Amino acid sequence: MEAVAEQKVSTAPAAEKGLKPEKKKRSRISNRRLKEILFSYGMLLIPLIQFAIFYIWINANSIMMAFQSFYGVAEDGGELFIWSADNFTRLFKELSNSEATVHIALINTMKYFAAGLCMIPVSFLVAYFLYKKVWGFKFFRIMFFLPGIISAVLFVATYKQLISYGGPIDKLLTLFGMNIPNLLGDESKVTGTIIAYTVWTGLGVNMLLYQGAMSRIPQEVIEAGMLDGVPWWRELFQIIIPMVWPTISTTLILVITSMFNSTGPILLFFGAGESVDNAAHMTISFWIYNQTAKANLNYPATVGVFFTLVSVPVVFLVRWALNKVDPQVTY
Amino acid sequence: MAKLKPIESKSTAKVKKDFLAIKIIVFVLFTLYAASLIFAVLYAFSISLKGIDEFHEKNLLPKEWLFSNYGQAFKEVRANDSNMFVMLWNSIWYACGGAALGVLTSAITSYVVAKYRFPGRNIIYWMAIVTMMIPIVGSFPAQYLVYNNLHIYNSPLLLVTKMSGFGFNFVVLLSFFKTLSWTYAEAGFIDGAGHLRVFFKIMLPQALPVMGSLFIVTMVGMWNDYMEPTLFLKSFPTLSSGLYIFQLSQTRQFNYPVLFAGLLLSVIPVIVLFICFQKTMMESMSVGGIKG
Repeated sequence: MEAVAEQKVSTAPAAEKGLKPEKKKRSRISNRRLKEILFSYGMLLIPLIQFAIFYIWINANSIMMAFQSFYGVAEDGGELFIWSADNFTRLFKELSNSEATVHIALINTMKYFAAGLCMIPVSFLVAYFLYKKVWGFKFFRIMFFLPGIISAVLFVATYKQLISYGGPIDKLLTLFGMNIPNLLGDESKVTGTIIAYTVWTGLGVNMLLYQGAMSRIPQEVIEAGMLDGVPWWRELFQIIIPMVWPTISTTLILVITSMFNSTGPILLFFGAGESVDNAAHMTISFWIYNQTAKANLNYPATVGVFFTLVSVPVVFLVRWALNKVDPQVTY
Repeated sequence: MAKLKPIESKSTAKVKKDFLAIKIIVFVLFTLYAASLIFAVLYAFSISLKGIDEFHEKNLLPKEWLFSNYGQAFKEVRANDSNMFVMLWNSIWYACGGAALGVLTSAITSYVVAKYRFPGRNIIYWMAIVTMMIPIVGSFPAQYLVYNNLHIYNSPLLLVTKMSGFGFNFVVLLSFFKTLSWTYAEAGFIDGAGHLRVFFKIMLPQALPVMGSLFIVTMVGMWNDYMEPTLFLKSFPTLSSGLYIFQLSQTRQFNYPVLFAGLLLSVIPVIVLFICFQKTMMESMSVGGIKG
């Protein structure tokens, strides 16, 4: 009955072969242990099957699809595929071709990634000043958090109206004798416009993480600093940042490791009549999504597999580097 | 000491004065940012009250406040033959069902991994951590193929994909169950309860507050999700995907005010949840910082 007590006593290797000697003795303990193990496996059965299908099988499928190319249509109407590395050849060609959608999408993805990185110090500073109880901090805290939980469908639709020709921002600019340019129709401005949207609404969750971490700093530390007359920037850089570093580094890891997934709510910016297929606003992950919606599967799967593979060493490198800076990094 | 004190308080005063200037600048910036968010919501509200022709004039306030647009939204907003009521129902089962399945499955896996020792336990633990670490880029094509093969594409059965026992919920619940005392379970065993009974009757109820906040956060995320329902649940538009699909049907006489009325209606459940569980929601999002 004492699963926990047993855990503490038995060491890992003992647990591995634990069953064998117990079986021979047929003692009550072995029965109990057997029941525990059976219970554990019974409980894990469904989650493991689910994991096998919807994680392992799906990702295995991505890899298989990456190595298959469309060959032709069989007599019964089914599509035929052959094993080949053509998808990868095509990917490398397109990556080096500055006109190709994948190439443009990669550049745009990096722009979203850079914006995401810049948002880390911004949301950190916002969290810091809320922590320092700027007037109305309770109100601001809730206000800044709301875009994170309110449907992007509403916010994007409103944003599009705000920046539209004749809209409020345009009316404001008219006062200064200017006009708002066609932000979403101009290929050179569209990605910047969507990034501006992600910045406008993207303070939420990271800000809360930092605030949570700051609220756990012992008050005595801050008070000691104040008594010594430590200026606010020294308090920020020498007390607060080091103390909440594990949280900062966790958010950094998340942003950096998912850099090829950086994107915005691009789908919502384009409706019927406005071409959602235009390369100018593509990112890697939205392009894959958009191709899937058109049942174009193999080549997009290749792009996904390729960028996942590229990001794996980045994940470990970033974790290793940030662990060097502070070994306390938790996950 | 006595001599030093005034010097120190003087410097403290200077520091405070410096900080006051910064505080004022920050306050102004915060106010401007908050004002932009409030203005956006009010502008959306204003649009939702306008007449269909008046919309194109883009005035700040409607000439006539047409609250009837909100009733109209229930009649006019359509996506693939589903009206707002159907979308609401789809949103409810998709978001609540998916979140409940996900949190319950994570509770099961995290409980077993935290409290039982069995061969392969470490493998499962590391599997959960490593899969969280590796950011898979765009597995939509494979999902599309596999869901089609399993006949869960475009069907409520798609919810089985949400039954993931690992990920963020697993990590949070694992640290909860690790700190939960085993003596409660022992008392149950002495009373002759089996492992399953102990889990469901004794241990799981104690995790309900944690599970509740995870449920709310997951549910809000799924309520707002428009990408997966648009791709995989075409015949079951939720409020988020349905209102997006409705926009695609734009014609010259597209009724924008009614669209905005529908959009504002669709966020009411989330706002109500937020008002009721504000503290829980903000706290459970900020614990993510401890465990990533």
